[in-house]
Amino acid sequence: MNNLLIEKTLSTPTIQFDLVSNVLKISGESFPENTAKFYSPVLEWLKEYIEQLDSATEVTMEFDIIYFNSSTSKIFMTIFDMLEAAVENGKKICVNWRCDEKNETAIECGEDFKEDLSVLPFNLIIEGDQ
Amino acid sequence: MNFDLYDFYQEVKAKKILYFYSGPIAHSSIEAASYTLRKHLEFEEAGISTTQAVFSIFIEQAQNILNYSAEKLGNQADAQENELRIGIVVIGNVGDGGYFIYCGNRIHTNDIAQLKSKIESVRNLSKDKLKSLYREKRRKEPEPGSKGAGLGLIEIAKKSSRPLEYNFSPINESFSFFSIRVVVER
Repeated sequence: MNNLLIEKTLSTPTIQFDLVSNVLKISGESFPENTAKFYSPVLEWLKEYIEQLDSATEVTMEFDIIYFNSSTSKIFMTIFDMLEAAVENGKKICVNWRCDEKNETAIECGEDFKEDLSVLPFNLIIEGDQ
Repeated sequence: MNFDLYDFYQEVKAKKILYFYSGPIAHSSIEAASYTLRKHLEFEEAGISTTQAVFSIFIEQAQNILNYSAEKLGNQADAQENELRIGIVVIGNVGDGGYFIYCGNRIHTNDIAQLKSKIESVRNLSKDKLKSLYREKRRKEPEPGSKGAGLGLIEIAKKSSRPLEYNFSPINESFSFFSIRVVVER
């Protein structure tokens, strides 16, 4: 399989899924016109990636999202459920949910996702001004 | 047509409207408006939480028009991807640095009951209840006829500072005008 790279637009995030570093990054804004359609290749890629993953490889999934709409929230939950199932099957995956210390909404969204998960390591990383 | 643009401009100013749009809405219209809206809120130093709330309500409302308005531009036989649905969005200042986000579109009169019950089911819930309902629905299959996740109204209610206000005005036998009014206090 190949790396997955999708350039950002005004309403969709940058997707950088790298097979060498095993860092999977989603960053930017997410309020696509058709959320299911936009994320369909992303979910497909993840499914295939998890299937071929061995239990020694450490994977980090980075979320650095400024704003996401409600239909994106559902897709993110689907992604976390996929990762959670993979962790239950012995894969080493963790999520870094990055947000600005002033962005209370993003922090709260991260906390809500974290509470809905049990075995997937979900790190809330709150960043200040640089 | 006898229409004085300066009068209209003055009325918009007097009603403290900072953004409005009426007509066919394309996804690119929402993208462009969101850029302008963010800049405007930044300029007014609305603060990140208020900005996020206004922005989020605007996106959910505008995407509802895009998905559900019963008024369309062009040929009904057009592929769904090409159709533009018509609606109106108005954002303005209210009270001490708060914002109102109003949105309206035409709906089929026989859809009123269902939409009304959807709004009523969320409009008086506490923030905690809304939060748990949102999380519960996020893991469920969307309802039939839903084009998104079916979470938009809950999201709007979560971000609103007051219970959602709404109205249905009859247009003719088949259609009514639906409006929803949301306020975000600073």
